[in-house]
Amino acid sequence: MTKLLELRDLSFSYDKGAPPVFEHFSLDVRKGEFLVIKGPSGSGKSTLLRLICRLNTPRSGSIIFKERDVSEITPSELRSKVTYVPQIPQMIDGSIRDNLQLPFSFAQGQGKSVPDDSALEQMLDAFYLNDVTLGQSANKLSVGQKQRLSIMRAILTEPDVLLLDEPTSALDAESAAMVFSIIERLNTEEGKTVLIVTHSDYQPDVPQARSCTFRNGNLECS
Amino acid sequence: MSPIIEISIPQLLLALLFILVAQTTSFVQKLGLNKDITIGTIRTVAQLFLMGYALTFIFGANNPWLTVGIFIVMVFSAIFIVRGRVKEKQIAYEVPTFLTMLSSYFLTALFVSWLVIGVEPWWEPRYFIPTAGMVIGNSMSALAISIERLFSQMRQQRDLVETKLCLGANYKEASRDIFKGAIKAGMIPSINAMMGVGLVFIPGMMSGQILAGADPLIAIRYQIVVMFMLVGSTAMSTIIVTLIIRRRCFGKSEELVVSAE
Repeated sequence: MTKLLELRDLSFSYDKGAPPVFEHFSLDVRKGEFLVIKGPSGSGKSTLLRLICRLNTPRSGSIIFKERDVSEITPSELRSKVTYVPQIPQMIDGSIRDNLQLPFSFAQGQGKSVPDDSALEQMLDAFYLNDVTLGQSANKLSVGQKQRLSIMRAILTEPDVLLLDEPTSALDAESAAMVFSIIERLNTEEGKTVLIVTHSDYQPDVPQARSCTFRNGNLECS
Repeated sequence: MSPIIEISIPQLLLALLFILVAQTTSFVQKLGLNKDITIGTIRTVAQLFLMGYALTFIFGANNPWLTVGIFIVMVFSAIFIVRGRVKEKQIAYEVPTFLTMLSSYFLTALFVSWLVIGVEPWWEPRYFIPTAGMVIGNSMSALAISIERLFSQMRQQRDLVETKLCLGANYKEASRDIFKGAIKAGMIPSINAMMGVGLVFIPGMMSGQILAGADPLIAIRYQIVVMFMLVGSTAMSTIIVTLIIRRRCFGKSEELVVSAE
């Protein structure tokens, strides 16, 4: 498999003089890979995802996406291809439809075809959201429903990489299993490269899976 | 028109009865405002007397550099007042705000005194300084409201702004609603003032002219110019400052650098 993402010699700390979260950190992610990153709170799991999509800037080192340094790619273009889904799902005021079509309202998504209602309804079913309607208020959904909706919204513009930050942190076991099965399908059926950060003992059931654990700013992978 | 009635010092002291009412209210209701009212009263008297003497001197000197110098001092004082109202430590906004205030207020005051009123020369202090003073006083409050709103909303909606960035929005798209809300918040008071003027209240400038013996029909023309000028200068300065500061809320990678509350 070809390398999709290369993290080279990354160093990062939140403030000048603060202890580094990473020091000379490197990682390769291959196309179609399903990478599960585990580790205790504060170990830098979320920071790693934020660095990849440039929500934080490394002190030194480089990140290569499809053989291009990410600093050479427009941030909005990069983020539409390497999409980060934050731990706490955020919805704009409006309907589920408004939220799902949000990425298409940005310049980056305007060339892409906006899915119609029947396509969105089919996707809602696939995301175990068959009990909601497109016209209802997104902010009135449960956290679990919002989690699924935010993943669905992220994949509508067809990114190459999905960066998922604790996608099941606030969910019960049943909802968590639903979310994980959706993510696994995105990898196995649609070939999405997935980096998923979690502190649960989740064991993915996909052939391309790799599990890594953060220890002292380094990843140990099995 | 009857000549202006001069207010003697004993008459001026009589006006202190209003302050006494405010002090008594604060004392009886335990509002804790007595100290502020006292300081405010002393400052009002001292600052206005000082300004009166300064203006008498400036009007007499009739020097363009002195007029422009006073204008710069007024804007410089205004930025300190804005700083006092906007509690922001992380993002440096003072220099662009000061430069925007200086240039936009100067252009507004110049336009009004030179082209609208037709003063010759344009820097005639009797016209330029009061005009600039009204622009600075009103737009300064609008700016403080807009800047404060921009920062507070960036902090409150930080997660939502980042979500939009993650979905492919550029920094302008991700903060569009916050940007529009900040500008509106600054502009609404001056727009509302246009709705109520002449019906709900008689503005200070017009009242002053009428009290000084001017024909009300001339006074209203000045007031119309002032109302339009304030809306224009407020719009110009809040839009420019909010645009500049919004960019500063994002880093080179269009990442939000304003930390959470």
